[in-house]
Amino acid sequence: MSAWSFYISTLVVYFGVDLLSGVALNLQYGYAGVVNLAFIVFQAFGAYIAAATTLGPDTGAGAFQKYIFGAHLPFPLPLILATLGGAALAGVVGLFSLRRMRRDYQGAILLIVSLIAAEIVTADVPMFNGSNGLTGVPKPLASLGLGLQAYQWSYAVWSLVIAFAVYAGVRWLSRSPWGAALRAMRDQEVAAGAIGLNITVLRMQAFVIGGAIGGLSGGLLVQYIGAWSPGAWGYAETFVIFTAMFVGGLGNYRGVALGILLVPIIFLEIPQFLPQIGYPGLIDSLEWILIGVLWMLSLYFRPQGLVPERKNIAVGSPLIPMGEGTRLASLAGGITGRAR
Amino acid sequence: MKAARLKTAAIVGAAAMALGACGSSGTATNGGGSGGSGGAALTVAGVIAITGASDFEGQNQAGGILPAIYAINQAGGVLGHKLVYKGVDTRADPADALPAVQQMLATTHNLVMVAGPGSNSAPTIVPVLNAAKVPMTAVAGESAFDRTTDQYFWRLFPPDAANGVAMALWAKQKGYTRVAVVFGTDTGSQGDKPGVVAGLKALNIPVVSDINLTPDQPTYLSSVHRLMAAHPQVIMTESDAATAGTFFGELKQLGGLVPIIGTEATFTAPWITAVKGALGSSFQQAFTSLITAPSSKTAAVTAFEQAVTADKSQVPKPWQSYLNNPFSITYWDGMVAVALAMNAAHSTKPTVFNKYIPQVTNPGPGKVVVYTYAQGVKELKAGKQIQYYGASGLIDFNQYHNSFGNQEAVGSNGSSQPVKLGTVTAKQIEAVPVTGVQ
Amino acid sequence: MLSTLLSAVAFGVVLASIIAIAAMGFTIQFGLTNVLNLSYGGVMTIGGYVAYLAVAHGISAWYGLVLGAAAGAVATLVIGHGLLRRFAARGTKVFEMMMVTLGLGLVIDYTLQAISHNNISQFTVLQSAPLHLGPVTLTPTQVIITAVGLAIFIGLEALLRLTRIGKALRAMASDPSLARACGIKTSRIVVFTWLLSGALCGLAGVVYIINAQSIGYTTGELFLPLVIAAAILGGAGSPSGAILAALLMGIVTQVFSAYGNASYSTAAGFGILVIVLLTRPSAVLSKGENEELALS
Repeated sequence: MSAWSFYISTLVVYFGVDLLSGVALNLQYGYAGVVNLAFIVFQAFGAYIAAATTLGPDTGAGAFQKYIFGAHLPFPLPLILATLGGAALAGVVGLFSLRRMRRDYQGAILLIVSLIAAEIVTADVPMFNGSNGLTGVPKPLASLGLGLQAYQWSYAVWSLVIAFAVYAGVRWLSRSPWGAALRAMRDQEVAAGAIGLNITVLRMQAFVIGGAIGGLSGGLLVQYIGAWSPGAWGYAETFVIFTAMFVGGLGNYRGVALGILLVPIIFLEIPQFLPQIGYPGLIDSLEWILIGVLWMLSLYFRPQGLVPERKNIAVGSPLIPMGEGTRLASLAGGITGRAR
Repeated sequence: MKAARLKTAAIVGAAAMALGACGSSGTATNGGGSGGSGGAALTVAGVIAITGASDFEGQNQAGGILPAIYAINQAGGVLGHKLVYKGVDTRADPADALPAVQQMLATTHNLVMVAGPGSNSAPTIVPVLNAAKVPMTAVAGESAFDRTTDQYFWRLFPPDAANGVAMALWAKQKGYTRVAVVFGTDTGSQGDKPGVVAGLKALNIPVVSDINLTPDQPTYLSSVHRLMAAHPQVIMTESDAATAGTFFGELKQLGGLVPIIGTEATFTAPWITAVKGALGSSFQQAFTSLITAPSSKTAAVTAFEQAVTADKSQVPKPWQSYLNNPFSITYWDGMVAVALAMNAAHSTKPTVFNKYIPQVTNPGPGKVVVYTYAQGVKELKAGKQIQYYGASGLIDFNQYHNSFGNQEAVGSNGSSQPVKLGTVTAKQIEAVPVTGVQ
Repeated sequence: MLSTLLSAVAFGVVLASIIAIAAMGFTIQFGLTNVLNLSYGGVMTIGGYVAYLAVAHGISAWYGLVLGAAAGAVATLVIGHGLLRRFAARGTKVFEMMMVTLGLGLVIDYTLQAISHNNISQFTVLQSAPLHLGPVTLTPTQVIITAVGLAIFIGLEALLRLTRIGKALRAMASDPSLARACGIKTSRIVVFTWLLSGALCGLAGVVYIINAQSIGYTTGELFLPLVIAAAILGGAGSPSGAILAALLMGIVTQVFSAYGNASYSTAAGFGILVIVLLTRPSAVLSKGENEELALS
């Protein structure tokens, strides 16, 4: 049974990582209304930083791979650096992508950012070893001498602890006045600006926090699988998390957690147990088609997701009287014909 | 949307049979290894990129492993057990590969061998399989495995550097003094490029132009122009098929075509088809590839060809392309060797038969040379020591579980039938001091 | 070296022609309907495949162009008129519509992958000697592609400025309700726009594969970001803006690969978009009055 135990523990780790992603995207998109179609880039950046700061210095000739800022930092410094790296990258990307613009433009531009990032990392081999990526990243605290099985589950628990700590923290933030301000901005940008909320700063804050969580999730993942390459962060990866969010329910953290459990973990693992149909790779194609259909259906029938945003969250917020109609009638967070 | 991390394994091969393997695994008593007949099917898992940017890896594998399984089952199976194949898709992505492999390990009880893993996921997956005590016949060129101590790792394939050094040696032999290197930025190409560059450096052949091609661009005109301005005498190359078609098509149309020396990976059907389509009649004259030297036409080669032909409905199209595919032949030999090792050990238990693998392949005094699985089983039953001489030629594992032979310069007559142009021996390759190679 | 620069510029113009044909279709569709249609790349691939199949069955590549365009027109009409209109009727807004087309793009791409068995097909239609234009060497194919791009641009401008339906289209793109009030049958204009932009999309797919000489299921999708960038840069609804943006991006891309690291060339092309965003944010400012979908 130990093989099952390995498999399940891996899925638990992935659930933790995906939950972090979902929480981050929900903050950025569900609350602040920023369409971060480049989310996976922040996860990737965190992963690269954690990898490069764990692998030790690049020793040049005769070495196995090439990368920048190699260091051999003790746990948990690489994770912290990954988090900071994700935040810093979000700051840079946010500079040009968070300008006041149509939200569909913003989505398209961030999608393009995702593509450029993958292209640059692939092309520039000395940065993070190009398309071959970084491998052989040592596992943290391997020196403790835990058995394989015990280590697996320790890591699984560790990633769950991080994921739920962040989950609780972000949920708390979202319910704070700051979160109310975010929603106000999302729903009524002009009005929110008029009552003195600094729209630019608010949006940037949400984006940077999301970026930091993305970086953290990447660090957590790479320390587990020990390798990272552009193949792991194709821009479509972001869509999986978005689908989970759509399915679960936007703006609602419990819904997002449910969506994460349903889509990337359960739904995408099931085909592994199916017998082959057609030629090799057909199941893979069908799976993506299904994701697309699921995506469109959830937009068509249940834009509010399985677990809708709780309507009473904003009640009592002194900032904005929120009309039921204008609120989450649209899953995008209400870009309902707003001027600007 | 290539190679996304949808953690999935596509199950390929004989589906019904694979299901049968899963279904019957509960009843099988595979613990101590049975010599009886009619036992549960044994699973051979192909851990390889079946979809995504490197899906050719999966095709190369299917072209060799499926005929091998077919032939072994035709010869009565292994110790009374049939073999079945189960594909595990790595999507050329370690993040996908890890859960897929663990899922496979969890759900596959009669697993006797892994074909693979391929280059991209090997560093992540080899330790997992080694810890699970599953023998693997890897086709991963990373030099990290040149001196591996993983007991369950077996490689019948030259490290990437060997192929690159052979290309440089061939260029030297041809008297080329101005070489351009043109490589895609995809994983496979970038994996092979350092070996080529290091080989050229070691032989003091100047690289006059070093071009990286981002795959799937609509045009590479400026890169073509840049290449032509450097006036190379020869181009050393590897990229995915579509990129190569576009690049060399433009190169030819602009009148800049010079001889091309491709890595072993270019000697596969998609690449040859694409570039031949783009170059037309000039292709045959321009193209040379350095590949693992095909064996002389032994009975092993005949057996391989017959099996591919007989099993042609199962392998990806076009089935003819695998007849000379060095990767497919490697997988064939790996499978036959492992199956013979089980026979020699009288056990289907990996921990028992693993150490028999070199015993049935490496040459030695008093051994009977066999060329096919059936022949090997017969000699083993007769109590003989055997040496399996593969379709790829002599198999001689060193202490690091590596076995590779000469490299051969070949041309193409347009199909994937190699036309021999010359040989670069393993000795020559080992004599070139290369450094800094992945 | 001057000849290197001239060649790079010429190559840039060729690349720009390929981008521009697609971008013109995209921008007209986007300008009128306000749908930022991310399934556009998938439709390009459909057009390319239809032409590929036609040529593979012995039909001339010229008819392939026509068939590809027709396939693009039909597919776009089905998507726009059949599918997206239903979403709009249920209250889907501008931004969510983009997300719908993103999902749709996934469905199209992977359906093509399933049908094509994930194979890349070879597509070579023209093999002939290069043309030497001063220091610049181009292939006949490239000259033809550039000419096609130019012809489409002129035809489109004439259509939009000189014909009744073109004028109506422009009127509706700038203010749908006003156009409706003036008695313009807007639903017809929308159908016309789907057909026109779809035809350009299919055509762009064929032109792309003629130049790239191969087609796979990701062909259009990989190209789409360049197209969107050109359309956003050039301003929604403006074919001339799309052409200018395509030229800028094409030339920068090729000059960059001639002088810099070729691997960064595409990134450099996109870099223009980022620079414009930073320096001229007004280019992408939402205009308020223009944020409603116009699908009927």
